[in-house]
Amino acid sequence: MAAGAEFAQVSASRGRSFSVSLEKGAIETSQQRESSGVSVRAYHRGGVGSTSVNVLDWGRIEAAAHAAVALAKQSDPDPDFVALPGPQPLPEVEGLFDERIAGLAASQVIGWALAATDEALAAAPEAIVSGGASFGVGDSAMASSTGVQVSTPYSGLSCYIRAVVRRGDSVGTWFEHAYGRVMEDFRPEGIGKVAAEGALEYLDARDIPSGDYPLVLGPQAADSVYYAIAAQANAEDVQRRRSYLIGKRGQRIAPETLTITDDPLIPRGRSSSRCDSDGVPRRPLTIVEDGVLLTYLHNAYTANKAGEPNTGHAAGDGIGPTNVNVRLGSRPAKELIAEIDDGIYLASGGPSPDGTTGDFSSTVDFGFKIERGEIAYPIRNAALGGSFLEFLQGLDAISSDYREEPGARMPTMRFTSVRLAGSG
Amino acid sequence: MRDALRWVCEAAKGAGAAFADARAVDSTHTNLRRQDGKTDRLRQGTSLGVGIRVLLEGAWGFASTNETSRDDLKRCLEAAVDMAKASQARVEEPGVVAALDAHADEYAGPCEVDPRSVAVERKMEVVNALEAAALAQTQERTANSFAWYGDEVTREIVCNTQGADIDQTVTRTRLGARVTAVEGEVRQNGVEHESSLGGFEVIERVEPTKLGGKAGGIAVMLLGAARAPSGKFPVILHPSIVGVFIHEALGHNAEADHIISGDSILEGKFGTPVASELVTVVDDATIPLSWGSYQYDSEGTPGQRRMLIENGVLKGYMHSLETAAKLGLEPNGSGRADGYASRPIVRMSNTIVLPGASTLEDLAQGIDLGVLLEGGEWGYVMTAKGQYTCHAGRGRMIRNGQIAEPLRDVSVAGMILDTLANVDGVTEAFEMLTMGGMCGKSGQSMPTNGGGPYLRVKELIVGGQERV
Repeated sequence: MAAGAEFAQVSASRGRSFSVSLEKGAIETSQQRESSGVSVRAYHRGGVGSTSVNVLDWGRIEAAAHAAVALAKQSDPDPDFVALPGPQPLPEVEGLFDERIAGLAASQVIGWALAATDEALAAAPEAIVSGGASFGVGDSAMASSTGVQVSTPYSGLSCYIRAVVRRGDSVGTWFEHAYGRVMEDFRPEGIGKVAAEGALEYLDARDIPSGDYPLVLGPQAADSVYYAIAAQANAEDVQRRRSYLIGKRGQRIAPETLTITDDPLIPRGRSSSRCDSDGVPRRPLTIVEDGVLLTYLHNAYTANKAGEPNTGHAAGDGIGPTNVNVRLGSRPAKELIAEIDDGIYLASGGPSPDGTTGDFSSTVDFGFKIERGEIAYPIRNAALGGSFLEFLQGLDAISSDYREEPGARMPTMRFTSVRLAGSG
Repeated sequence: MRDALRWVCEAAKGAGAAFADARAVDSTHTNLRRQDGKTDRLRQGTSLGVGIRVLLEGAWGFASTNETSRDDLKRCLEAAVDMAKASQARVEEPGVVAALDAHADEYAGPCEVDPRSVAVERKMEVVNALEAAALAQTQERTANSFAWYGDEVTREIVCNTQGADIDQTVTRTRLGARVTAVEGEVRQNGVEHESSLGGFEVIERVEPTKLGGKAGGIAVMLLGAARAPSGKFPVILHPSIVGVFIHEALGHNAEADHIISGDSILEGKFGTPVASELVTVVDDATIPLSWGSYQYDSEGTPGQRRMLIENGVLKGYMHSLETAAKLGLEPNGSGRADGYASRPIVRMSNTIVLPGASTLEDLAQGIDLGVLLEGGEWGYVMTAKGQYTCHAGRGRMIRNGQIAEPLRDVSVAGMILDTLANVDGVTEAFEMLTMGGMCGKSGQSMPTNGGGPYLRVKELIVGGQERV
């Protein structure tokens, strides 16, 4: 401020992490990282300059602050910036940090990774197993010239296994992971078995003809559809006129089946937090209700520009969703599949549109043919294409059962039709 | 700092390490952006730190720190040794490192005008010119415009227990424009980049107004373009997508760490045909000024030209010190790390398909109904499965041997070995990519580049939106 900034915001972080990576069922390497950093954002007549340093040295930080002000002064004035947010009471969110993770020994984490590997090899002895496990802990803090002061510790623990099975020219591959912000949510048991058994299911993939097919998206594929809507309901993209969701607020963009929420306050949620990166309190938000797009996601700048309430979704320099979920349906996934005579099931990698055009064009990486109500065989050499908003109109069911991860309940979704480019 | 790193290597030997290296990376960057006629995000930053890698009794350990006093480095080395001891919990194939004639060198890459000496105002003039040229094309159809300039100066010092002692400084500069044009409900993007080794002199070579004008022109052209067809078609890949295609489809599979880990479809195919005889592929770290070039990799091995496929036959892989030792081959300078906090892994540099003898007209002849794809934007590959995806920013239909109406962006997908075998035409015309690619692998992001001639593929899955 002394250098001439009208507003300033400083973020700092310090953390350490450990990771072990596995290759062919054995340890490839173990790594420890210590990191820290300070970033300074200075404002002058609405223009902003940002600088960063990764060394917690006062001289360097002071130089970074002066450089940020100099950049801000070289920016064009922006009347849409009024002020940084002031301090507000923040909600408490349970389970953002677990001291037990901070106290983990490398040998414990390596033990989980090796146990998961052994599980995979027990399920498929010929599998080539890779993956790893890691944990990270640290503190991040933010202060602004308007009086915001927030400090948050964080922790996370994960394990990941990928299995590849080769039989002749046929290759099957699948993966599974476990994650927790607290020890109770970290459940690595079983992930090796899931990865290996999944890899076996992808052997002997077949080409299928081009055509329009009913489409079922498994939990990890459906997630990409509703997350895309949440991420692209981005007020900055709309204000900058580069979004296919322009003019869609208050409009029906999908059947009544679809309700999408964003809840940053879910205890122990992967994307939970007390405030956004502007220091604005987090709160739950319904983005789509009964198929109608209710709101765009705002940070302090876009909310002021639009004259609308700030939803608290500042993420770095931009805007981003947190824990995104959909309202569950009333019937299990198995029933939704059973009603399809000739269709496609995607286990991962669902259609995700270009944020400007709203078109999608994506490869079927983990797909199966559905025949006579059952998942029949894996498919290869196929791609999906279409208009995302047209595709969404075909959403006809969401399952009652779901995959659960911290902050997310991920159901199966069914669509009446998608265009598939295949080999016939 | 070099003395401190040498000391680390000696101390590692004293701790029983069969091999160790210490790298210090010191970088500064500037990124300036303009959006919708105003400066948008002006950023600068610095980063400094040291990464230490240790091979102890066959097991690897790595540790990094951004505190660089002698005491901090001692602590970091102890952590690396602890990591190696932790890795000994299960080692199936003990780690090994190829012996290499150690190089000692101080090298500064091409840079006529150090960007750190150029005022932000001057750099902003470039961004202003870029955006203005783009807007001159889109005019009242403009929805959103971006223009950017970025530079980075990175000094990397590498010392190892074999005596490598490299101090190199690399300067990279990039600029580009992205503009969204709108007409009714249709919104389309035009994007153009220029990215190169070198300092501020790069902008003289690039002509920012041409670059911006091209981006704007593409956005306007695409407003009138049709959606791409869906199905299997003969496809001609423009050089601007061949670089992305060959990086994803072939390059990653030819990284020796994937071969060793059983994660490549090229495993066991050395010396055998894996592509049409028309296809020759090299990965070449020595192409002057190319975005993916370098003098030394992050292990201190000189960058070089590596033959991967020669006339359709698999001839080589890319190697780090470790993969070369495991396969009994020579290291060829492909061990790269994206910063001090990352260990070196096998990476590409500039992966290119060498030109042939045909013309574009030759390739189009004989295609009754096909697709020409241009403007490679991104791609990915599943190496074990041998399936890849490439996204093209635009295209053209080919009808009765003629290049016809324009098409919007679309992805193509295929099985790598099928596609390479189905290449039946290669032009003499050749271009390098200019996009300034950043390749992601194992959580690291490295500058890589690619290029090639036009390639004709007999058939490819085009994931478009329209029935034909």
